[in-house]
Amino acid sequence: MFQSHFIHMLVFTGLVSVFFAFLTRNDRRGRLKVGIYLALIMITASLLIAYTLYPFPK
Amino acid sequence: MIERMSWTKFKRSLISMILTWLIPGIGHLYLGKKGRAVVFFIVVHLTFILGFVADGRFFLVDQRQPFMSYLQTATNMAAGPLDIVGRVYVYGSPAYFLPGEEEARSSFLMTRMRERMKSQGSAYGTAYLLTAGLMNLLLMLDVFDISIGRKE
Repeated sequence: MFQSHFIHMLVFTGLVSVFFAFLTRNDRRGRLKVGIYLALIMITASLLIAYTLYPFPK
Repeated sequence: MIERMSWTKFKRSLISMILTWLIPGIGHLYLGKKGRAVVFFIVVHLTFILGFVADGRFFLVDQRQPFMSYLQTATNMAAGPLDIVGRVYVYGSPAYFLPGEEEARSSFLMTRMRERMKSQGSAYGTAYLLTAGLMNLLLMLDVFDISIGRKE
């Protein structure tokens, strides 16, 4: 399917963010805010963890 | 303070939870939340389909590690009939238990499982499949909250 790990992460983040935005908020503005926050937090955290683990390949 | 739930509320919550398990999002439609129903239907189905296409693993109960394997299998099962259809396609039957060690060597089920695990995207697929199940579990709790009036 997707060859890139990064694309996999983006798709997964998108789906989870949309899901939680609609699950936790009822207004459009709130959903947008939660969705963007969640997506940014997940992407940032993943990249940070990935680069922290970079010197330890196995 | 614990309040007793009326029969109507109990029935409504039970029906909505069963509907959600059967088809993700339909429980919300039953409760009149059309917008949310459409989004949840698309998101959960898309997550499941991506997991299936990426050769995600449908977990089987393994008696050698019962705790984890029961949890993993239950999470898969939370996706409802989608999980059953996936298992029938992959294993040839709705299998939920790993065969014993002797049978496992020649088992079709084990061969199919190994083939999928060898695939490049299998780890991602497995994450997608488990996420679809967990999402549907949360949706069942959400429709319960909505139906008893705890949430809008």
